[in-house]
Amino acid sequence: MKEVLLGNAAIALGAVMAGVKVVSGYPGTPSTEILESVAKFNKEGKINVEWSTNEKAALEVAAGASYCGARTMVTMKQVGLNVASDPLMSLGIVGTKGGMVVVVADDPGPISSQTEQDTRHFGKYANLPVLDPSSPEEAYEMIRYAFELSEKIHLPVILRPTTKVCHSSGTIETDENRYDYEIEGFVKSPDRVIFPSLTYRRHLEIEEQQKEISDIFSDLSFNRIEGKGKYGIAAGGVTYAIVKDIINTYNLEFTLLKVGAVFPAPDKLYDRFLDSVEEILVLEELDPAIEEQLYHRLAVNNIKRTINGKMNGYVSPAGELRFENILEIIERFTGKEFKKNKQLSSIDLPRRSPVLCAGCPHRASFYVVKTAMRGNKSLFCGDIGCYTLGYGKPLEMTDTCLCMGAGITIAQGIKKAEPDTNVFAFIGDSTFFASGMTGLANAVYNNSNINVMVLDNSTTAMTGHQPHPGTGKTMMDTVSPEIEISKIARALNIDFVERVNPFDFTRAVIVVEEAARYEGVSVVIFEAPCVALLKTDQVCEIENCTGCKKCIREIGCPALYIKEGKVEIDDDLCTGCGLCKNVCPAECIK
Amino acid sequence: MDILISGVGGQGTVLASKVLADSRVIEGGRARTGETIGMSQRGGSVISHVRTGESYSAFIPVGGADLLLSFELIEGARNISYLKEGAHAVINTALINPVSAILGKESCDKEEIMEYISANSNVFFIDASKLAREAGAIRVVNTILIGFAYGLGLLDLSGESIEKSMSKNIRAEYLDLNLKAFRSGIKSAEGVHLN
Repeated sequence: MKEVLLGNAAIALGAVMAGVKVVSGYPGTPSTEILESVAKFNKEGKINVEWSTNEKAALEVAAGASYCGARTMVTMKQVGLNVASDPLMSLGIVGTKGGMVVVVADDPGPISSQTEQDTRHFGKYANLPVLDPSSPEEAYEMIRYAFELSEKIHLPVILRPTTKVCHSSGTIETDENRYDYEIEGFVKSPDRVIFPSLTYRRHLEIEEQQKEISDIFSDLSFNRIEGKGKYGIAAGGVTYAIVKDIINTYNLEFTLLKVGAVFPAPDKLYDRFLDSVEEILVLEELDPAIEEQLYHRLAVNNIKRTINGKMNGYVSPAGELRFENILEIIERFTGKEFKKNKQLSSIDLPRRSPVLCAGCPHRASFYVVKTAMRGNKSLFCGDIGCYTLGYGKPLEMTDTCLCMGAGITIAQGIKKAEPDTNVFAFIGDSTFFASGMTGLANAVYNNSNINVMVLDNSTTAMTGHQPHPGTGKTMMDTVSPEIEISKIARALNIDFVERVNPFDFTRAVIVVEEAARYEGVSVVIFEAPCVALLKTDQVCEIENCTGCKKCIREIGCPALYIKEGKVEIDDDLCTGCGLCKNVCPAECIK
Repeated sequence: MDILISGVGGQGTVLASKVLADSRVIEGGRARTGETIGMSQRGGSVISHVRTGESYSAFIPVGGADLLLSFELIEGARNISYLKEGAHAVINTALINPVSAILGKESCDKEEIMEYISANSNVFFIDASKLAREAGAIRVVNTILIGFAYGLGLLDLSGESIEKSMSKNIRAEYLDLNLKAFRSGIKSAEGVHLN
């Protein structure tokens, strides 16, 4: 059967067909839909699927199941692998039994990420194979192969799709050929307990294995040389697909080296490529991984070729490679011009950056704190989630943002260096469970005087509303008792713990003022559900607007706009949250 | 056929591209889509690529689209450069003010934007937001525009396969509303001639 599937759904279906039995992960764009799709395909409930509290937990859960012989998959975005790197580095030493695939989605651009890090390096760092699909169709084939390879070499295999594979769809030929097997169970062995002596022995073995895997990769269909000619292009990931489109559009001829299984490097294939071309161009997003591998082969074989790529400044070191960029680079490479775009007249269009939705409770929480702290020296440490958008005008309530959970701990550092400032940390509910709790314990233990504002909207909103320990719902459609953030805070010996609805504006401002005065760690939990999950027909109404525009200047709600000098409310966007009522000095909004 | 869909996060570009891609597969062909998912979904500019012919990647090059469907006026103007010479655009005349414009930092003149679009493409404007509200909900702007483009003869897909695809991709409780919107879009195209 043919089906249009998003790259992430294709990876999920491939894993299901490969007999995956345990799937764990933490949401993160562009990886999120992989685990969600497994849950969707898991109608019979044969697969154990979970959103773990963070990526480290997810990877360890998957490793445990793999030790027993179950095929396992763990999913995350690239920065999630930083969190999971501790177990991953050691797992390469200990090894796995049931096929284990670590799917790590990279985000060139970046489109929705803190970093432009390249997971292919992690493969090299941890001595683990990395597969890099060029399309959803190839991702579907690759994930099935990844499980087989993992079982053959007893190591986890990394599948590294990028945003343009995760979030594009292709037409997948599905089959009914689902692999099935019995889980053998845990077999006790000293090899499962990491010790320096084991690590030394295994390190020698793994280095030997790299050569074997390199040979396998030189003959693997995901890696191949196509076409002919003295001009050689090496390309990996989705860049290969775009190069193919360019070659077909303009009838070009190159010797094209496609690299889909990228680490360990397919040395023998690289040598054949280097032998057959005179001029070389390497096209890959993020870091020059293929390029470094090709330089390595030139050095080993003691031959000279000019390689054009990121390392000689021929290709930009950062950002996506789009059709237009690649075409321009190929024109430079060949000295020919293929295309002239028609000239358009010019116009200045307003930018449309992402914003907090109309009715978003985070806007209310930020405005509550802003109001409470007006005139006081304050700093606001943000975190990762929709509420990072609190950075934008007119709220401007995010002074720092680093990585998951960092707001609470950065705040502690600022308070040490700047004791006379009121320091606030904002953190969402899912982020709190992922990596906020240890930082909060640190604040209490080390006698910090910070104010922690938990923005609890009862979901993981930014990535598309995943459940978490505070919601009580699981990906297996079971219900667990909700873990209450207020109880955690109290258990950490925090005496100032208040729960407040941010739309109960006057009370919320008083609570925040008290929190700021309180000596020691204070925790305010703003509780109001994500507006995207609310179904409401309510709208605010505005009458006799005086045109002062204070509502727009203060809260910047997308439902407010100006028509002929007066503020109007867009009924299509307004949810009737009423935050603007607290701002209007003339009480025009009902 | 290469179709670019543009809009504001939340307007349903992803669903529209899935409906079109699946229609092609229902007819026995293949399709690709490329989506904007993630942070931009929170009210930012979004585009979806739909390719129903042979290609390796899902991404339509600038100057390569056979059709631009825009669910919002400014986003239509922003993506005009994707169109091939002489290709058609079908654009909702309703404008959603970006917060930067509301705050008075950047200007946003509807007439000027429509003139720019007309000067640089073969465009059909339609107040799809008004029709969507009449059909029952603002969120069916996407299906109104698909219906309008289909009614104009700009989609190389059959109405039957589009409706089949809609019933496959849209939740049962919203299907009737969307079918009504699709047909309302088709009706609006009656008597409108391709230029």
